[in-house]
Amino acid sequence: MRQSRASSLVLSLPWIVTFVLFWLFPLLYSLVMGFTDYRLLAPEFDWVGWSNYRELFADDDFLAALKNTFVFVLGTIPVTTVIALVLALLVSGGFKGRALFRAGYFLPSVTAMVVIALIFTNLYQRGGYVALLVQLAGLTPPEHGFLFDRATALYSIMAMDVWMSVGYYMLIFLAGLKAIPNELYEAAVLTGAGWWRSFRSITLPLLKPVALFIIMINSIKSFQVFVEVFVMTKGKFDTATAVYFIYEQGLQTEFRFGYASAAAYVLFVVIALFSIVQFILLRRRQALW
Amino acid sequence: MIRIYLIVFLFFALLGSQALAKTTVEWWQFWTDPSVKPTIQAIVDDFEKAYPDIEVKLTDLTWANGHEKIVIAFASGAGPDVLELGSDWIAQFAVAGHLRDLSDNLSADSNQYQGYSMATYDGRLYAKPWILGTRVLFANRDLLNQAGFEPDYLPVTLDHFKAATLRVSKLNGVYGWGSNTAEKHRLYKKYLPFFWTKGAQVFSDDGRYCVLSSDLAIQALQLYKDLHDSCGYVASQRGIEDAFLEGKIGFILSGDWLLKRIELEKREINFVTTLFPGLKFPGRSFMGGEFLAVNAASKNSEAAIKLIDFVTSAQAQVRFCKANRSANPSSKQAQQDEYFQSNPHLQTFVKQLSLSNHPPVDPDWVNIETIIEEAVEEALFGSGRPAEALRQARQKITDLKHR
Amino acid sequence: MVVRRNIRFELLRYSVLGLILVVMSYPLVWMLRISLMDVTGSVAVSGWLSGGLTFANYVDLLTQVGLGRYLFNSALVGLCVTAGNILFCFMTGYGLARFRMLSNKLLFASVIVVLMIPVHIIIIPLYVLMMKAGLYDSYWALILPFLVNPIGIFLVKQYVETIPPSMEEAARMDGAGDLRILFAVVMPLCRPALAVLAIQVFFTNWNSFLFPFILTSSDDLRTLPVALAMLQGHQAIDWPHLMAGSTIAVLPVLIVFVLLQRQIVSGITAGAVKQ
Repeated sequence: MRQSRASSLVLSLPWIVTFVLFWLFPLLYSLVMGFTDYRLLAPEFDWVGWSNYRELFADDDFLAALKNTFVFVLGTIPVTTVIALVLALLVSGGFKGRALFRAGYFLPSVTAMVVIALIFTNLYQRGGYVALLVQLAGLTPPEHGFLFDRATALYSIMAMDVWMSVGYYMLIFLAGLKAIPNELYEAAVLTGAGWWRSFRSITLPLLKPVALFIIMINSIKSFQVFVEVFVMTKGKFDTATAVYFIYEQGLQTEFRFGYASAAAYVLFVVIALFSIVQFILLRRRQALW
Repeated sequence: MIRIYLIVFLFFALLGSQALAKTTVEWWQFWTDPSVKPTIQAIVDDFEKAYPDIEVKLTDLTWANGHEKIVIAFASGAGPDVLELGSDWIAQFAVAGHLRDLSDNLSADSNQYQGYSMATYDGRLYAKPWILGTRVLFANRDLLNQAGFEPDYLPVTLDHFKAATLRVSKLNGVYGWGSNTAEKHRLYKKYLPFFWTKGAQVFSDDGRYCVLSSDLAIQALQLYKDLHDSCGYVASQRGIEDAFLEGKIGFILSGDWLLKRIELEKREINFVTTLFPGLKFPGRSFMGGEFLAVNAASKNSEAAIKLIDFVTSAQAQVRFCKANRSANPSSKQAQQDEYFQSNPHLQTFVKQLSLSNHPPVDPDWVNIETIIEEAVEEALFGSGRPAEALRQARQKITDLKHR
Repeated sequence: MVVRRNIRFELLRYSVLGLILVVMSYPLVWMLRISLMDVTGSVAVSGWLSGGLTFANYVDLLTQVGLGRYLFNSALVGLCVTAGNILFCFMTGYGLARFRMLSNKLLFASVIVVLMIPVHIIIIPLYVLMMKAGLYDSYWALILPFLVNPIGIFLVKQYVETIPPSMEEAARMDGAGDLRILFAVVMPLCRPALAVLAIQVFFTNWNSFLFPFILTSSDDLRTLPVALAMLQGHQAIDWPHLMAGSTIAVLPVLIVFVLLQRQIVSGITAGAVKQ
């Protein structure tokens, strides 16, 4: 492997150009704005130093939004990952009709989120399909609908998110499963190992990088959950998430863009820390070759 | 000789190019759904025919995200020449200096239009009223009959109204009143009619104090809560309308879009519309609307104002209202049109508009509206104490104003 | 004995898969049902059998609303962005995976950073950028910023790291140049990752709403999600038309997925990892 600086530069050029042209200025701009009291419609603004950040940590709404975001992330990531893996295992064989099932499981993850949110708003409403199912199971659904009750609103959104995302991660797991050479399984069978044994010793370890990738990508996305909240509840009944808070503060009500930018960077730090912790905890040396 | 011909030729060429040089007016508007967009386009086409030197570039905005696009554009120093703005956004934009002062251009016809007070801030006029809206009481006639009322009975006072809702809710599987759940920008519009009918106000007459927690306001919220608790079908606005159209609710407060829905979906429901009940008849309902404003930075303000005048003209408004089944054109002349006069439901809306209050024209209104909404939510879904909720809200608004 | 067990196993397998399919696809089947309703249909639970069966909503969308143009725009932008991403993410992802210098670690950090900032904060400065560059309200505004997707880079880097460099070294010893190694040796090995990347990028772009809405104004440039959003009225949702539009938006998914899924799961050739 040649450590050629020139080769590396050429290879990375597309990203460098894109980043410098389109993303660097916006990132710096909002970083700077986080230290001002800039409001979108007002022409003048002042430097306020860390005052936005101090205000954020005393802001009940922001803290509640952060809490909800954590609930969302910690609640959906494990569930989504496990279900995605199970689905991938189920459809990885060479049986008839597998394309139908794969397509069917995958479809929700490429349907527009707004559309799914609207459909589920209808499914979750008072007297809707989900309420019926819940009643059939012998429980009482919330009286005003699942999205209009503090106890169920956030969880309903989370359930919808899991439903919607598993297909995409199933696909990634499928790719990962197929990368595991068959010889390893054949060798395991020869040594008398059962399905569970070979799963634990071959499949799981070799899927670790894939799983790590999925968990990291999913976390980064889930920390920024917004569209569902915007379409379904507008943050009511304790469903406001961090990005919804940022949206509301910056583009609605008082247009406090400076304040919202500060909140965005707090969220960024949270996501970064979380990703680093994840990376350290979940990564092992790839014992492959 | 040739030089003279050249000069004459150039002179006429220049004249010709002036005639061909069109002014482009960019208009951002919200009416995009297929039932009404063609009418907007037709009105714009007619405008271009009437003014051949003006070209209109129409941009559509979605109701859900359109205001963001406007704000982002203005914040970046860009923005259309003409924009459609909701009444609760005018003061905010005006204070920031983004709207052109139209006082001199529009004062001539201010008595031919309803709603100018919502576009007036600090004595200056910043937008022209276009399509207004109010809320009236929809009642299910069949349910009223079943509950034993007379064939043309309608409650006129708040006490009668409350009694009627209770009586209707005694029917099997039926609710007396459709009560909104916590939905942004909706709930406060249902509470404010009760609030204003009781005589309460957000600010004192001189505008210096917030009087949101006056005794009258607390009584209004208590009444609203009683309705909600005793016989309310609690759901989103859509859910309430669905249930009403299926005959499950006796009374709901709604706007003219419900008429459109009943007509387009061919619903068979025996319903009546009536004015919002009052202490003695009638009460005060909620008024808002869509306005047309000119960007202060627009370089084509003359053409922009011509467009606004054309779109808000009586015929254009009648055309629009027919397509959208809107009940409240701002033009008084349009209101006299046969289309409105011949429909009893539309007549209710027209009458109600004259008996409606609108929120104070205040740059902080969107924030105040959120605070009021949270107070109502607190009283209905939270701690359940109207007086406390209103007092906290009053404090928040006062702090906001003294910032 | 073996045959009977196999049939029982197959039955179990298909029932489990089928049950999951019902759960996963129910909301979308319901969406399809509503798209075939006429205006008198109800979207309530009892509404399955109401409203008849009609293609009128689809016809309306293609004729009155002009959805064809918006489909074209979305497809054009989507294909350009996807093609660009396949090439550029592959290059950069490979570079970050194979060249372990500090500058690359920083570069990777920049990739991740862009992913972690909410889009609402970035949109305003990006809008200003586009205006100043004269790209506002053009196809370029919809394509250029999105030609290199951070997730794509991450995906390729992750995947390339699991491929042993032995094949590249072997090719180099045979005298192959850099370009040849990159595109003739490594790229085919990355087919599964690139297929996932293509799907990911195409459909993120296909469903993207905020950027097209804010960065363009003209009707000619409108993309599908924006057009669908315009079907929502002020106070009411036109369910049949909206669901018809959403179904149309989902059809390309099926097509592309069926075409590409074999790429993903056909697996890399066993020879690549034989020692």
